[in-house]
Amino acid sequence: MAATHAEPSAREIFSTLEYGPAPESHACALAWLDTQDRLLGHYVNGKWLKPEHRNCVPCQDPITGENLASCLLAEPEDVAAAVKAALDALGSWSGVPGGSRAQHLTRLAKMIQKHQRLLWTLDSLVTGRAVREVRDGDVPLAQQLLQHHAVQVHDQEEALAGWEPMGVVGLILPPTFSFLEMMWRICPALAVGCTVVAVVPPASPTPLLLAQLAGELGAFCGILNVLIGPASLGDTVGRCPGVHKVAFCGAVEEARVLRQSLAGQRLELSLALGMESLLLLMDSADVDSAVEGVVDAAWSDRSPGGLRLLVQESVWEETMRRLQRRMGKLRSGRGLDGAVDMGTRGAAACAAARRYVQEAQSQGAQVFQADPVPSASPFYPPTLVSGLPPASPCAQAEVPWPLVVASPFRTAKEALAVANSTPRGGSSSVWSERLGQALELGYGLRVGTVWVNTHGLRDPAVPVGGCKESGSSWHGGLDGLYEYLRASGTEDRLPFVYEHLNYDSFGLAVPAALPAGPETGPSPVPPYGLFVGGRFQPPGAGSSRPVWDSSGSLHGYVAEGGAKDIRGAVEAAHQAATGWERQSAGARAALLVALAAALERRGPGLASRLQRHGVELEAAKAEVELSARRLRLWGARAQAQGHTLQVAGLRGPVLRLREPLGVLAIVCPDEWPLLAFVSLLAPALAHGNAVVLVPSRTCPLPALEVCQDVASLFPAGLVNVVTGDCDHLTRCLALHQDVQALWYFGSTKGSQFVEWASAGNLKPVWVNRGHLRAWDQEPQGAGPELGLRAARTKALWLPMGD
Amino acid sequence: MAARSRGTELDLSWISKIQVNQPAVLRRAEQIQARRTVKKEWQAAWLLKAVTCIDLTTLSGDDTFSNIQRLCYKAKYPIREDLLKALNMYDEGITTAAVCVYPARVCDAVKALKAAGCDIPVASVATGFPAAQTHLKTRLEEIRLAVEDGATEIDVVINRSLVLTGQWEALYDEIRQFRQACGEAHLKTILATGELGSLTNVYKASMIAMMAGSDFIKTSTGKETVNATFPVAIVMLRAIRDFFWKTGNKVGFKPAGGIRTAKDSLAWLSLIKEELGDEWLKPELFRIGASALLSDIERQIYHHVTGRYAAYHDLPMS
Repeated sequence: MAATHAEPSAREIFSTLEYGPAPESHACALAWLDTQDRLLGHYVNGKWLKPEHRNCVPCQDPITGENLASCLLAEPEDVAAAVKAALDALGSWSGVPGGSRAQHLTRLAKMIQKHQRLLWTLDSLVTGRAVREVRDGDVPLAQQLLQHHAVQVHDQEEALAGWEPMGVVGLILPPTFSFLEMMWRICPALAVGCTVVAVVPPASPTPLLLAQLAGELGAFCGILNVLIGPASLGDTVGRCPGVHKVAFCGAVEEARVLRQSLAGQRLELSLALGMESLLLLMDSADVDSAVEGVVDAAWSDRSPGGLRLLVQESVWEETMRRLQRRMGKLRSGRGLDGAVDMGTRGAAACAAARRYVQEAQSQGAQVFQADPVPSASPFYPPTLVSGLPPASPCAQAEVPWPLVVASPFRTAKEALAVANSTPRGGSSSVWSERLGQALELGYGLRVGTVWVNTHGLRDPAVPVGGCKESGSSWHGGLDGLYEYLRASGTEDRLPFVYEHLNYDSFGLAVPAALPAGPETGPSPVPPYGLFVGGRFQPPGAGSSRPVWDSSGSLHGYVAEGGAKDIRGAVEAAHQAATGWERQSAGARAALLVALAAALERRGPGLASRLQRHGVELEAAKAEVELSARRLRLWGARAQAQGHTLQVAGLRGPVLRLREPLGVLAIVCPDEWPLLAFVSLLAPALAHGNAVVLVPSRTCPLPALEVCQDVASLFPAGLVNVVTGDCDHLTRCLALHQDVQALWYFGSTKGSQFVEWASAGNLKPVWVNRGHLRAWDQEPQGAGPELGLRAARTKALWLPMGD
Repeated sequence: MAARSRGTELDLSWISKIQVNQPAVLRRAEQIQARRTVKKEWQAAWLLKAVTCIDLTTLSGDDTFSNIQRLCYKAKYPIREDLLKALNMYDEGITTAAVCVYPARVCDAVKALKAAGCDIPVASVATGFPAAQTHLKTRLEEIRLAVEDGATEIDVVINRSLVLTGQWEALYDEIRQFRQACGEAHLKTILATGELGSLTNVYKASMIAMMAGSDFIKTSTGKETVNATFPVAIVMLRAIRDFFWKTGNKVGFKPAGGIRTAKDSLAWLSLIKEELGDEWLKPELFRIGASALLSDIERQIYHHVTGRYAAYHDLPMS
C-alpha cells in the first residue's frame, strides 16, 4: 500500500501539517513466529505441543488479512495432557515456601522486561490494538502484577495462615483482547501455589509467548500451560479430574451454559463477564475532562467493550458538542502505528458494531460518526449513539466496541436508578466536582469499580470485579488472592455427579403431610407459622409438616412453606435491605449483641428443645452459649470492614468497600440446628444483608424461637425464616431472580441443583456438596471464609489534586 | 499579522460555572504526548513550522546591542541555508515569527533587523515584567514607550494579585487599558500561570484576558519557577476554544519558558492541532517563546538531511 503511494514532500506537509505514518517495526514478532514455522501449537509442561490431526485456524493480520500463522485447535486429549502437566507440577510448586514462588515470579517479571519489545509488537500485530497502549500500559502492568503478587506471598505461611491453594486452575479467556486478562488471573493463582491450564482463543499467540517465557525459566515447568481452543473447552477442562477451579471470562450466555453443564462437578466456577462500562456525567463536572474520560473508556483501546454514557440534561448540549468535536480528532489506523488512538479488532467486532448501529437506527436512534468509513474497511470508526428509546431492545443489550450510547437524565437520583437498572455491574465512572454528590453516586452504584473523575485506571493492588451478570469474581488485591485459596480442611474434590438429576422435577412437588398422632411432651407450645416480614404468618398452602423428636414421637408441627411464601419473604427482605444497608456497622453490631443477650435469656428453653432433639444437656447448653458468642463475634468483626488502598502513581486514596450482597438466601444444614443457623445468620446480617433462611428440617423449632427475639429487635423483614420441604424451598430460592446470593448446606443433589439453577441470574452460590461442616470449630463455623462470602468488594477511586 | 482582536464586554457568567479537574487534566497532558508522533519528512516539515512560530527571545540583564544583533540575524536565518535547500524549502522564507526583547532593547532590535533587511516584528515585554508589581501608570507608560520605539507586539504581564483575590472586573479593566495603550501593536497577555494557584484560576484569567481584547494569551514569563506546562496549556486552549465558540474570535496562544528541545516543540504543535485544530497552526495564532529551542531544531534538521548528528560547531550560534 505504502509503495504505490508517493510520499508527500516536506514542502507539502509544511502547508498541510498532517500526521504521517509512524510504523513500529514488527520484525521480531515475525521472527518469533518463524521459530514456530508459523504453526502455533500449545505450550504444555515447558514444551511446545504440536499434536497431529488437529484442526487449524489461521491467525491473521486484522488489517491486511494476511495469514501470519496457523493455530492448532486443542482436543480433549490435549486438555488432559495439560491438566496432567499441571497436576504433576502442583505438588512441588505448592510445596515450596511462598518466598521461593515469589522469587520465581520476580524472575518471570524480569524475563518479560527483557523481551518486552517482542511482546508488545506481537500483541499489537495480531490483536490490532494500538501499540502505544500495549507498550505503555499492558506490558508494564504485566510486570507490576508479577511483582505485586510476589510481594503478597512472600510471607504466605504467616499472612495467609488457614488457607491453602485450591489446586489446578482452569482459565478460559475471551476472544482476543489483551493478554493482561490472563496475567490478572495467573499471577494470583501461581503466587498462592496453584498451577494453571489456560485455554486462550485462536489467533492470540501472546499468551503462548508468555508461557514460553515462563517455561524458559527452567524450574517448575508445568505451572503454566496454555492451549489454543474455543471457549466451549471450558466444560472439558472442568470435567477433568484434578481441576479444582475454572475461571471463565467471556460472554454472559456462554457462562450460563458452562454454569449449567458444570453443576455438581464439585469445583469452583468463577465468572467475569461482559465488557461494557458506564460513565455518569453530572452538571457540576469538568465537561472537557469528562469527554477525555469517554475517549479513555471507549476509543483508546484500553477497554475491551463499549460505553453507556449518562449525561445530566442541563449539560447535554454542551457535552454532545464537545464530544463530537473530540471524535473528529481521533485517529484510527494500524495498531502498530505509534500515532493512532484506536486500532481495529477484526471483522467479527466490526460486524457486531455495525449490526448494533443498524438496529439502533431502525429503533429511532441518532448516530454520529465524525469520519464514516466504507463498510469494506477493516476499521470501525468511533461512534456516538443517542436518542435511543429506553425501552427499545438495543437499549437493553450490551454496548459493543467502539460505541458510546448516550442518554440524558435529570437528577442524581434518577442517574442512579437508570445506572442500576441494567443487569450488568462491571465498572463505572462518576464525573462531578461536588464531593458529596460524587460519593453518593460512588457508593450507590451497584458495580465492582467506581472511578471518580477518571476512567479506566487499574493497579495490581486494587481488586476488580463485578456484581449481577458481570459475574462475581475478583482479580487484583487481596480479593484476587482469595479466589485461588480455600480454607484449610476443605474436602478434596471427589468426582461424583448425579448425571441424571432431573432439574425440571427436583423439589417441584411437596410430599403431603397428614396428621401424625398426638403431640406429646412438655410445653411451652412451639411457635407456629412462617416468620416473614417480622411476624409469624400462616403458610399460603395452608398445610403443616410434623416434627419428630429423637425418640420418634411427634414434637409438634411447623408450617409447610411454598413458592408463594418464598416470594413474600424475598419481597419483605428487599424492603428491609435498603434501610439495613444504610445502618452503620456499629448500629448493626449493637443489634447483634442485643440478640446474643436475648438468646442467652432464652437459653434454658432452647437447650431443652435441643435436648429433646437428642443432644446431651451439657452439649445443648454449650451450643446455646457458643451461638451467643458467634453473634457478638460477628458484631465486632462487622466494624472492621473495608480499608484504604495505596496505589503507586495515583495521588489520592482508593477505598476498598465491603458492600452487602442484597438479599441472601440461606438453606441451613440439618445438624447443629441452633448453632449452624446462628453461625450463618450472624455474618450475613453483620455485613448488611437481608436474609431468607430455611432452618434445619429435622429440628426447625430453635430457629423459630430465636425469631421471637428477632421480631422485637430487628426491622421487620430483615430476617425471614421459612420452614417446609427443603428441596422445594431450595428450588424456589435458587430459581428466584431477585435473590442475590445463595448458601446451601444440604444434600449432594441439592448442591448440584443450586449450582445449575444459579445460571439464571448468575448469583454467587456457596454449596457444601453434601459434606458436613464442623460448626462448633472456629475455622469452619466462624472463619474468615464466611465473612468473605457475606459481602462483595467495591473499589472506589478518588484521585485528588487542585 | 492577523487583524486585532476586539474583545467583548465583560461577562462574568462565562467564568462563574467553570470547573477544572486538575488530576484529569494532568492525565490528558501525559496522554497527549504519548499518543502522537511524527517521523521522517513529517518531522522535518513540522520542525520547520515550529521555527516559523518561534518568538526568538532574549530577556537577560546583560543584553547589549551586539547580542541583540546576533539574535536578529539568527531570526532571519534560523536554519542553515544548505539544509533548507536540501528540503526544497529555501524559497519559503523561513524566519522566526518575531524577536522578543526588553523595552530598553527594542531600538537595538529594530535597528538590527532593518540592517538585515528583514521585516520580522519586534516584540517587547512590558508592564513591569516579570512581576507586574509597579504602578499602573508606569506600566501603561512602558507600553507606550515600547510602541514608540517600534515594537509591534507587546507581551504584557497581568497583575497576579487581582486573580488571587478574585477581582475579575479590575483585571478586565487593566488589560483593557493595556490594549488601548498598545494602539496598533498586538497585545499578548502573559498570565504567569505558575503563580495563579489553580487551574480553575488559569481558565478564568484566560477568559478575562480574551474578553479584554488580547490577541494572544501566553503561559508564563519564563521567570517563574513553573513555566509552560502541558496541563496549563490544555486549560488555556480549552478557554480559547470556548471563547471562539462564544464569539467567533480566534485568539492566539503562546507557551513560553522551558521549551528547549525539538521533541517538545513537536508535542506543542500536536497539542494545538488536537485541541484547537489546524487553523491555529500558524504564526498568527501560535507562538513559542524560546531561546535555546532553535538550535536544537536546527540540529534535528541537520540530522534529518545528512543522516549524521551535528557537532557543536556545525551550526551557527544565535
